[in-house]
Amino acid sequence: MTITLAHYVVLSALLFAIGIIGILTRRNAIGILMSLELLFNAAAINMVAFSKYLTPSEIYGDIFTIFIIAIAAAESVLGLAIILAMFRKRETVNADEMNIMKY
Amino acid sequence: MVETILFYGFAALILISALLMIIAPNIYHSALFLALCLFGVAGIYVVLNSYFLAGIQVLVYIGAVVVLALFVINLTRRILDVDSDQHNEQLLPAVIISGLTAFLIISAVLKTNWGTMIAHRVAQDNTALTGRLLLNEFVLPFEIVSVLLLAALIGAISIVAGDKGAQK
Repeated sequence: MTITLAHYVVLSALLFAIGIIGILTRRNAIGILMSLELLFNAAAINMVAFSKYLTPSEIYGDIFTIFIIAIAAAESVLGLAIILAMFRKRETVNADEMNIMKY
Repeated sequence: MVETILFYGFAALILISALLMIIAPNIYHSALFLALCLFGVAGIYVVLNSYFLAGIQVLVYIGAVVVLALFVINLTRRILDVDSDQHNEQLLPAVIISGLTAFLIISAVLKTNWGTMIAHRVAQDNTALTGRLLLNEFVLPFEIVSVLLLAALIGAISIVAGDKGAQK
């Protein structure tokens, strides 16, 4: 049996679901950011697989995935910087203890 | 045949390490499982003949993002405390919501009539074409992303450095 596009889409759906569980159940803000990376990767797998199967001669899916990776890196850097600044002020990295907007 | 074995192997690696990542009681182990999961995604890119993307994935995600997360974990862990509970009590609603999401997507995929479009694909390496497209057709987004990365760099430094007067 050959691997079809449906296999890749099901894989990315399962990865997306696992990432959502991680976002909703983690208390640590770093854990939430890392679960977000799972969502980005699920989307990126979709992009590449659709591009390879539907338009094999064009590679726009690859290009979009490169941009996804670059923007995810920027997002991760800023998120971790905010968490670090928050840890200095509040002495916690747990999302459920960050309950005031102004300190 | 080789593609089938590789796909199922990497898919199992991705899903198992992602599950272990979200249930690991130690946040440090969680980051290491994230690295394993991202490595599996790089393997999926290799199965899809996107070798350049696989290299980028390993370099940027595993080499930069996961290492950065490990640094921040080390900087923010309270050493004297025992590891407090890393999960809240919302596991059941989270599983229900994400299960419904996955069920929706998968049933939509299985019900769609794809025809013969998805049966097979042309295996070719597109690294040279990627470079040509990035510097011709996509040169404007490429430059915008580089400016975005510069802005993120400056922003991260200014957020973390803070103002020196307030710290004394």
